[in-house]
Amino acid sequence: MNLIKTAIAKGQTALSEFQSKQVLGSAGIPVTQEILVSSADEAIKAAEKIGYPVALKACSWELMHKSEAGCIELGLADQESVQEAYNRICEKIQTPLEGVLVQEMLKGQREVVVGLNRDPQFGACVMLGFGGVMTEVINDTVFRVAPFDKVEALDMINELKTSPMLGTFRGQESADLDAICHTLTAIGQLGMENESIAEIDINPLIISPDGNIKAADALIILERSE
Amino acid sequence: MISSISKSPLYPIANCRSIAFFGASNNFSRMGTGILRAILSGDFEGPIYPIHPKEKTVLNLTAYEDIEDIPEIVDMVFIVLPTKIVVETLEACGKKGIRHAVIVSAGFNEVGGKGVEMQKELQEVAKKYNIRFTGPNCIGVINSHAKLNGTIFPYEGKTGFIGMASQSGSFITQMINYLNNRFGQNFSTAFSLGNEANVDIVDCIEYLGACPNTKVIGLYIESIRRGQEFIKIAREVSKTKPIIAFYAGGSETGKRACLSHTGSLSGPDRLYDGVFRQSGIIRARSIEELFDFCYAIGSSPLPESNRVIIQTHSGGPGAAAADACERSGLELPSLSPETLEKLAPFIPHTGNANNPIDITFTKSQSDFFKDIPTALLEEKEADGILVYFLTPPAMLRSALMTMGVSEDELEATAKEIVDQHSKLVASLAEKYQKPIIGFSFLTRDDHSIKCLQDRGIPVLLSPERAARAYGAMVEYKRLREKIIQSGE
Repeated sequence: MNLIKTAIAKGQTALSEFQSKQVLGSAGIPVTQEILVSSADEAIKAAEKIGYPVALKACSWELMHKSEAGCIELGLADQESVQEAYNRICEKIQTPLEGVLVQEMLKGQREVVVGLNRDPQFGACVMLGFGGVMTEVINDTVFRVAPFDKVEALDMINELKTSPMLGTFRGQESADLDAICHTLTAIGQLGMENESIAEIDINPLIISPDGNIKAADALIILERSE
Repeated sequence: MISSISKSPLYPIANCRSIAFFGASNNFSRMGTGILRAILSGDFEGPIYPIHPKEKTVLNLTAYEDIEDIPEIVDMVFIVLPTKIVVETLEACGKKGIRHAVIVSAGFNEVGGKGVEMQKELQEVAKKYNIRFTGPNCIGVINSHAKLNGTIFPYEGKTGFIGMASQSGSFITQMINYLNNRFGQNFSTAFSLGNEANVDIVDCIEYLGACPNTKVIGLYIESIRRGQEFIKIAREVSKTKPIIAFYAGGSETGKRACLSHTGSLSGPDRLYDGVFRQSGIIRARSIEELFDFCYAIGSSPLPESNRVIIQTHSGGPGAAAADACERSGLELPSLSPETLEKLAPFIPHTGNANNPIDITFTKSQSDFFKDIPTALLEEKEADGILVYFLTPPAMLRSALMTMGVSEDELEATAKEIVDQHSKLVASLAEKYQKPIIGFSFLTRDDHSIKCLQDRGIPVLLSPERAARAYGAMVEYKRLREKIIQSGE
């Protein structure tokens, strides 16, 4: 994948959120609609194209855990808030930025985490878990070794203790299980086909009330070359 | 997958017809001597050639000074020698034309330093002469169907259906008595793997999968070296033969500094949960469970569903079983009106025909062993039964005495009666081809339990253990269907 090669050539040890989502999107994993901008005016234009409310996020491969660095602005409903948020981000963040991401705000309270890591004995392993800020607290995760198929992916979903939330839940539609299965198998494929990918995090993958899924945040860590 | 069992590198080891033995002497404190004694006490039928530099005979067998001197090229050689002469010994065997070995000697990879080098040398010699071997740092091999007990403890000669591969040295040896005392079972074939320098657990699964005497495979795992092959072979084997694994988890090798959530949330224990499920393997949470599951699943047809009926004549064990069923993912359906009608004559007003069926007291013993289980096995709402077996010998004897059986005939009559009961249950198992899993607080030293077990009815040691074993059978069936469905 050229994007990964270029990133490695530039000395990156990770992909930015924008780059990570391009990689995921090319594997058929649904991601948020988003535009990378480099001025407040561009941000407003992008927000209007996407539709309010939007989120703004500082975008750099060096910012791996953005919520902790305070570089995310959520629920921006008009031009003025976008402009102000843009300026706040530029003031706060000292890291050189690839740009600022203008991103659709996803609706949905159900969140899962999907990821990939490498085990010395088994190779690429795919994780599915209860997602969002409570991920580590709820600690409900399951693993499979890539490659695996849809039948196995469905078994992964069923293995989660919290899997009932993916069915019809509190007036919300059942999650698009086909799309979750595809996400799981595709993450495994990405790991199999790209030795230079060390780890992947999609956290959270948000499930909207109508059951659609989208990656709201993503991170790809690259293999450190010796 | 191997096309036939004889293609496995383990075939000549588990089915050897002749053995050369390094490291046995007439000194009874030597481990080599212990292993050779176990082989002899197991009535191994082929020739055995001890190699010893000084002794003329070892344990009454003619000893040879050098492997060169033995009159045939043996199928397999045991090496139980000091670490530093193991490599040269294997080389000498290779020159002689011997192609299979069990290397018991320790002091290789597991101790680090020079041991690592020596293990590499061992592998190179094996490669040069095309030798396949188990170990080093292992305790041998058992094939109860070929009268081969190449371990340190002798055992009563009985065959069994549990195939076992263990990464813990002497574990298989210790478990033979356990299996015999609790279940009247034994290993069909068992391999101790040690450092897996040449043959590993994947080779064992492949061999045991093809082994006609093995109904179920048990694994004791510390770490899996060929991950992808393990999953591939286990998925293939588990389509036709159940595999149960106990993983002594917590190996830190899988952990490393990770930057992602995924990294921080993963650990070998969770990963192995996934690996086993993906491979169609049932994970046992303890050594007891490992053998409970192996024993039950190897003794019984698989249940069609998770719906089960509990038959008891004591409330406590029945309730405990019901509770454990729920935790093992089993359902206890209510009985249909047809079944209730069939049961009516047998259940006193003190009893309970809800599931669990608590009979409290049966007027005739045969009700409990025939008519009641028959009605339950014919019930459409369920696909198997869990039965509490309790025929206290003292109660039976006093009943017989009341009936006027004389003191001399008492013991024989009591034995005859419990044997008749076990025959009734076994014939139901045969007729209905549904799981009948027993549980009892009596053990095999009680004749009633021995009879049931020896007639092929699995009786486990508590209600909870029986329920969990039943749950494992349901789970295996589900995993097997999943793997067949995914087809590959």
